[in-house]
Amino acid sequence: MTAYISPFCMPFLEMRKMKRTGFCQAFLGGGALAALVPVVNMALRAETFTSQPGSPFQILMEANWQLMAQLNIFLLVCGACLLYHTEYADNGLQKARSLPLGSSGLFLGKLGILLSAGLIPLCLETASLTLCCMRWFPDRPGESLRILTGMAFAFAMLLPTGAAMLLLSSMCRNMWISLGAGVILVFFASMLPASSSSVSDVLALVPFCGPYRMLHELPGREAALWTVCLCLGESVLLCAAERVYQSIRRCFA
Amino acid sequence: MSANIIETENLTKSYGNFTAVSNLSLHIKKGSVYGFLGPNGAGKSTTMKMLLGLTKPSSGSFHINGRTYPKDRLAILRDMGSFIEAPAFYGNLTGEENLEILRRILQLPKSAVEDALEIVGLTEHRKRLAKKYSLGMKQRLGLAGALLGHPPILILDEPTNGLDPIGIHEIRTLVRSLPEKYDCTVLVSSHLLPEVELMADDFGILNHGRLLFEGTMAALKRTADAAGLPTHDLEETFLAMIDIDNRNRGERR
Ligand SMILES: Nc1ncnc2c1ncn2[C@@H]1O[C@H](COP(=O)(O)OP(=O)(O)OP(=O)(O)O)[C@@H](O)[C@H]1O
Ligand SMILES: [Mg+2]
Repeated sequence: MTAYISPFCMPFLEMRKMKRTGFCQAFLGGGALAALVPVVNMALRAETFTSQPGSPFQILMEANWQLMAQLNIFLLVCGACLLYHTEYADNGLQKARSLPLGSSGLFLGKLGILLSAGLIPLCLETASLTLCCMRWFPDRPGESLRILTGMAFAFAMLLPTGAAMLLLSSMCRNMWISLGAGVILVFFASMLPASSSSVSDVLALVPFCGPYRMLHELPGREAALWTVCLCLGESVLLCAAERVYQSIRRCFA
Repeated sequence: MSANIIETENLTKSYGNFTAVSNLSLHIKKGSVYGFLGPNGAGKSTTMKMLLGLTKPSSGSFHINGRTYPKDRLAILRDMGSFIEAPAFYGNLTGEENLEILRRILQLPKSAVEDALEIVGLTEHRKRLAKKYSLGMKQRLGLAGALLGHPPILILDEPTNGLDPIGIHEIRTLVRSLPEKYDCTVLVSSHLLPEVELMADDFGILNHGRLLFEGTMAALKRTADAAGLPTHDLEETFLAMIDIDNRNRGERR
């Protein structure tokens, strides 16, 4: 009988809505910038790092990740704002809400795009970190697995931030408010202390703070798995929060 | 089952202590054009938004095509094409791309888009960005979105707003022809009784959220006659009805 669109098609549909908004270009450009950070750093002060003992990937991460992670978060903030700006700008959202879509279909579709787009800078960064390892640490090979797991962990840490930012931007009709709030949150989170381990373990789960965490800082494999699982759970909770918010919004709309 | 395709029972919407729609009981026959009339702020758009699930009724219920909200939300929305207040679209997409998104969500055949563009006379401008459309063209795009796939129920909120005289005439003729052509039921709102008179079979007159009259034109004339209102000019009948109600409201206060 009557067919409904499958939820798995939603991200592709949402992608069509992002035509001519500069969404992909933003992620490519921002990702390229973040990928340049370790290259420039190595090119300028190679000795400082090559003289350090230990894993080259960890040395590179310690030196550059703070800035790279911040760029990644910024990209998610801008991407989330852009995703809902197209909906609110000409009231397309009202039409979308009167179509036969599951009540979270729109949000999940956008989340799918935002997180896939988040993979763009991560891939570029993975490539540049790999190149840096090969170029400046030719005597210490065998880093690829470490790089891959490290970056996969970084992706998991981005999930709650992406979901939280998308939730925020879905609440704001005016893009400047969600963008402003997002930027404030990014700066606020970057100022929180990341030194003492028990505090930073908790902070790893807070959106906007988590992406600064690095895999090798965690005490062991088990701790890393726990952190990833909790991040996944947190993202699911944020999606549920969006659903609750939608039903509350409908009472006042 | 009754012959009514849309029935509302004591539908009420309050914002704080202000009641926008009060105990509204509409009866819309299958295959008819129902003219929904009322001055600014009468609650026409609010009623239509409740039918579309864009806003939640404070109390009361409604049935559409034998289905109830919110249980059968998707099935209800599947059967309804809508156009509420200002046209809702994505400005960064062309007219055609806008309809293409709707077509995919509704899972309609490819030809549906061309069809809808042809009906509203936008075929020539289909490759232009929607935000560069003139007011009337945006309105036509909104109408095309509502008509896409010839849904069994159409909800049109002031569809002729901003259209030129030719456009108004076209839309009027179109709305008039829909029940026979596509076995469609239309709920169309307007401020002007003479304008809807040309399209509608039944009328509902709303003032300050309350239904003053519901029935055919002949019944309206009888009611007006009995109340001693002018009947030679529909505009005047309408104005007198609203005026009397406003005065009664003043006394009730
Ligand atoms: N979200 C809201 N919060 C508070 N009041 C609202 C809200 N939406 C609508 N109203 C009020 O409800 C009343 C009815 O509004 P509605 O848009 O339904 O009128 P209308 O009959 O469509 O008028 P018009 O002919 O001007 O389009 C108005 O007084 C309006 O101010
Ligand atoms: Mg209105």
